[in-house]
Amino acid sequence: MSASEIVFSNVSKFYGEVLGVNRVDLRIPAGITSMVGPNGSGKTTLMNLMSGLVHANTGSVMVRGISPRQPERLMKLLGYATQYDAAPRGTTGYDFVQAGLLLHGFPKAEAERRTWAALERVGMRQAANRKVAAYSKGMRQRVRLAHAIAHDPEVLVLDEPLNGLDPLVRAETIALFREYAAAGRHVILSSHVLQEVDVFSDQVILIANGMIVAEGQIRGVREEMSEHPSQYLLHCRDAARVAAMLFEESHIVEAKVDAEARTLLVMTKNRDAFSSALEGIVLRGQEIDSVLPADENVDALYEYLIGGCK
Amino acid sequence: MSLWAQVWTIARLELSRVFFSKRSFWVYGLAFFPAVIFLGHAIDSQLRAKRWAAEASVTPAMLDSFREGMSDEQVIAAAGKPARDFTWKRRQRREEGDDDPETRRTMTYSDVKRQAQLRFSDGKLTEIRVRPILDLEEDRRIFAGVFQYFYLRLAIFFGCLGVFINLFRGEMLDRSLHYWFLAPVRREVLLLGKYLAGLIAAGLIFSLGTALSFTGMILPHDSADVQVYLGSMGYAHLGWYILAAVLGCVGYGSVFLASGLLLRNPIVPAIVILLWESANGFLPDALQKLSVLHYLQSVCPVPAPMDSGVPPLLRMLLAPAAPSSTLAAVLGLLGVTALVLFAASHAVRRLEINYGTE
Repeated sequence: MSASEIVFSNVSKFYGEVLGVNRVDLRIPAGITSMVGPNGSGKTTLMNLMSGLVHANTGSVMVRGISPRQPERLMKLLGYATQYDAAPRGTTGYDFVQAGLLLHGFPKAEAERRTWAALERVGMRQAANRKVAAYSKGMRQRVRLAHAIAHDPEVLVLDEPLNGLDPLVRAETIALFREYAAAGRHVILSSHVLQEVDVFSDQVILIANGMIVAEGQIRGVREEMSEHPSQYLLHCRDAARVAAMLFEESHIVEAKVDAEARTLLVMTKNRDAFSSALEGIVLRGQEIDSVLPADENVDALYEYLIGGCK
Repeated sequence: MSLWAQVWTIARLELSRVFFSKRSFWVYGLAFFPAVIFLGHAIDSQLRAKRWAAEASVTPAMLDSFREGMSDEQVIAAAGKPARDFTWKRRQRREEGDDDPETRRTMTYSDVKRQAQLRFSDGKLTEIRVRPILDLEEDRRIFAGVFQYFYLRLAIFFGCLGVFINLFRGEMLDRSLHYWFLAPVRREVLLLGKYLAGLIAAGLIFSLGTALSFTGMILPHDSADVQVYLGSMGYAHLGWYILAAVLGCVGYGSVFLASGLLLRNPIVPAIVILLWESANGFLPDALQKLSVLHYLQSVCPVPAPMDSGVPPLLRMLLAPAAPSSTLAAVLGLLGVTALVLFAASHAVRRLEINYGTE
């Protein structure tokens, strides 16, 4: 059993009759790993299994050689920012983070120093003495992150960590993940939006219906995707004209114009060629207000990978 | 960090939440209700005593000098105007041919400490009732009754339900239990820490309630009488009552802590345990020893008063069938508590965070 990996061996978890995850075999190396899947796919269950908040019905989980049934050992090296948007009643951000450190056994002075450092790291120093209940969603997200990193864990598990963060804080948070990964630590996070995590993840695990659909480096998943047509949504002045011009391209599979002729849904087999074609259309005088990927959400990805049977 | 340091850290973090939890604020009401009653009684008694002293007081010798057969005029001539004086006529004939109604008169005198009620029939003193205005002996019995029938059976029972069942169940409802599970401590240690916090809080609240009630009970009495009582056995009694209250928290606390881990609805364990505790008198000896109340009654220093008219069935419910010795009671209760906590430690090890089902 590797002491530097997180290993799931034939793990199944049921909540009564409801499937959580089924027969999961997984090895997660150090670095940034993103678990991507729609709501209810089993991402949180996998995270809860590796942190011991739930226990597997069958199989075993080992986190860097430690069983989650030994919280006294595991939690020294694991920090988990859960999706549960609650803190103990009446607690301030500072108290919340410090309480976690005191439970880790840090002396009071050291706990204070680490608390301020963690709050500083997530940009929450100013709001430290306010009640958590009065925080905005993004602030609660950040204070949970501070709670998870305060003891400097080797394994950082984050459930939907970018939810509710503004762009600047999001960039700082991603920089923190990169810093942790560069130090040879595990950063495991979940998201149901692929484009949110694909830019900085070393590995992506795609989950659906409690099963691992695909895993590996993001480029590998992307290549699998590229075998299938991609969809884009274009907003433009003359959608019908733009559609006609796009149909001159061989890689265009389908183009649908909406009733007001302002929006165009395009399916292409070649993203790069589509991008070049758009440039050409603009140069030929057509105004295109925006181009949005319409299928880079994980639902569409599953449709590609498992034929829509999620 | 040593095991006990971890337990204490958890207890310290939990304490303020236990003391100021809105969910169990009513526990204070239960704990201090008897104290309010006894303090109210103390104030009322003192006012009554002052009133007697102001209205009409005779010397103790005079109070003892009344004899049956004296006429009402003789009594008034000797003792002066009474503090209370009521006259009424009984119209029902006592004997055939006796058509005059019987004149009844009740006069009350006081020497400040005692009051004498003199009952006259047709002007002759027929009955003398002397009793203390404030009766410490009687108040001690009343206190014993309130403590055993209300405090132990209801206040501490439901108070512990409110405090201990919320230690885990309340955090599940608040969706904050996982923070404890993400700490590098064994689940059993977490259980002990939380139990200790509940015990400190409940123990302090109910000890204070007991002490205040006891103070309220002795407060109106003559300071010399109180000194004699405290010097002989009063402090020991207070100690035993506080010990019984704390042991009640120890026993019921462990039971409700375990219930909070095993069951979602606190009403179910409350009813089952209340029935078990109430029916304890009917159970065989061996099963009686699995009741918290059985041991607590044995620790109480003054037997609770039992009216002779109480039906045998109710008597069995109210009185321990075979009281244990004090030492055996304390050890037995600690044994039952250890057993329950052992079962709870198994439950907490298996406990999972699944707020969706709460």
